[in-house]
Amino acid sequence: MCINDLKLGQKAFVSGVFGDIKLVKRLSALGCTEGCLIEVVNKAPFGDPIVLSLRGTNLAIRKKDAKNISVEAR
Amino acid sequence: MTNIALIGNPNVGKSTLFNLLTGSNQYVGNWPGVTVEKKEGYHKDIKVTDLPGIYALDTYSNEEKVSKDFLENGSPDIILNIVDASNLERNLYLTSQILSYNIPVIIAMNMLDMAEMKGLEIDPKILEHELGIRVVPITATKGSGVDHLLKVINSKDYIKTPKFKNFPDEKTAYDEINKILSKSSKLVKDSVSITKKIDKIVLNPILAYPIFIALVFMVFKLTFSWVGAPLADLLDGYVLIPLQEFVSKLLSSGSPWFQSLIVDGIIGGVGSILVFLPIIMTMFAGISTLEDSGYMARAALIMDKLMRKIGLSGKAFIPLLMGFGCTVPAIMSARTLESEKDRKLTAILAPFMSCNARLPVFILFSTIFFRDHADIIVMSLYLLGIMTAIFIGLLFKNTIFRKDEEPFIIELPEYKIPSLSLVAKSTWDKGKGFIKKASTIIFALSVIVWVLSNFNFGGMSAMSDSLLASIGKVVSPIFKPLGFGSWQASVAIITGILAKEVVLSTMGVIYKGDLSVILPTIFTQLTAMSFLVFVLLYTPCVATIATFKKEYGTKFAMTLSVFYFVVAWIASFLVYNIGQLIF
Repeated sequence: MCINDLKLGQKAFVSGVFGDIKLVKRLSALGCTEGCLIEVVNKAPFGDPIVLSLRGTNLAIRKKDAKNISVEAR
Repeated sequence: MTNIALIGNPNVGKSTLFNLLTGSNQYVGNWPGVTVEKKEGYHKDIKVTDLPGIYALDTYSNEEKVSKDFLENGSPDIILNIVDASNLERNLYLTSQILSYNIPVIIAMNMLDMAEMKGLEIDPKILEHELGIRVVPITATKGSGVDHLLKVINSKDYIKTPKFKNFPDEKTAYDEINKILSKSSKLVKDSVSITKKIDKIVLNPILAYPIFIALVFMVFKLTFSWVGAPLADLLDGYVLIPLQEFVSKLLSSGSPWFQSLIVDGIIGGVGSILVFLPIIMTMFAGISTLEDSGYMARAALIMDKLMRKIGLSGKAFIPLLMGFGCTVPAIMSARTLESEKDRKLTAILAPFMSCNARLPVFILFSTIFFRDHADIIVMSLYLLGIMTAIFIGLLFKNTIFRKDEEPFIIELPEYKIPSLSLVAKSTWDKGKGFIKKASTIIFALSVIVWVLSNFNFGGMSAMSDSLLASIGKVVSPIFKPLGFGSWQASVAIITGILAKEVVLSTMGVIYKGDLSVILPTIFTQLTAMSFLVFVLLYTPCVATIATFKKEYGTKFAMTLSVFYFVVAWIASFLVYNIGQLIF
């Protein structure tokens, strides 16, 4: 499943990042790598973009990009 | 001379450390080839180059290219890597990458107090040992630890063979970082971060937009009602007007043309613009306070959905907001956007955010012609600017700028109390830039306008026979279909390209007298409205055109100058002709 399937406050492990090479590179550099614990902590008022918490950092990302982050429930 | 490269993630106190190290001994320039700001400063015989805040060295932003290029070709002796102690995991990833350049690295560990608040206990000695890199704790906001840092730099007492290195992929790097951190730091207590609590309110679905609007409104109120404008009045009343009177008395025995040049031309021209210094500085103080607090990233987040509709990302919102203050910094701050398309489109739309130089024109005209409804008229002009921007954005999104969206990833930093010194410094920098503009470009242009309005080829002349009047008469047919075809209005429009305030000062000079009495004999309500719409939308001032040229080249700047003129002409034409049908 992908990160967009998680509910607010739900945590999961990253199992992979796919798609556009720019996106993959940027997310990996920020620590979004396989096995990393990730949580959906917040959402913009209309539900998009979403705010992810990983490795102590809060990142805002559009759902359209976030769907490339696949996760496994813990 | 020791050549130091200062590098680190965004929001880790890099600018503060740079200011501490170099004091006022700084130079701001551009990196060759790309439009990212370059700062250099000196401390005795140490040269510090402040590289842009980045997360890594291998992705594709301008900031990263610039940093990489400097590390490869700028031959730094030391890389000073500033890290955020409360977020070492991500910060050390950049450290692992810079180690591949085989340049000695010193880590300045900032924000230990933040880490403590998060319940983290970090042992710098163990960290230093594990990394094989010199680690110096500092507190940049209080200035502590900087002396020690300088001592380390000068003593050459930094370890040169790091155990830490550049790893083949991100996962290995982060795993290694975690191993090191598990030895050198531990979580002593679990604390709910203040940031999380604030975000619960600031990003709340119902409260988010009201809070956002309230904050923007506050900045505007501060600028136009509470602080900026009153200070501008004081400056005008107690400094500029007395100065003008004093100088004209002083020169009263001299020849009248010289007196007129100095008083009407130079003091009138430069002074009428210098008045806006407090307004501009107040607005920047407000914006940089919001920026330093960490709120701007949230604003970008909640505006993303709306901005995407006109083909931009939420990040473009900040430069556009600055456009309400002054278009020049708005265009410059568009540099920080990721794609060329975003930078250009943001720059193109920025002049539609009515800058505060146009405000005096709006206020004067609407109080004369619309009396009780003046504030509604001014507000609707601002709105019309925004609507035009949306329309143009939509138009361009579906035509010239048809391209894929860049991914939108933005860090939401921890909230912090804005640093007074940092805000003061960036405000003062903007103020200095403005004074420089007033004393150079505007000074020169004021003299030119004065000459043109007082001379013709036969020598000194009456205003109506002057060169300026001749130019106005040639141009005025263009404005006839818009309802204001007099040579005076045409001249005011032309000189307004120098700086928008000049529209008024030119009218003041030409009509010689109380504008609130004279203007109603020349304009009707409808032609006044048409004129205001034109002033709102037409070709921006020379400073803006020069910025377009500097950032995107001559062709781009020239095309845009014509483009805005055409947009304004069409809008005014519609206002005037539709208005005639109705009234």
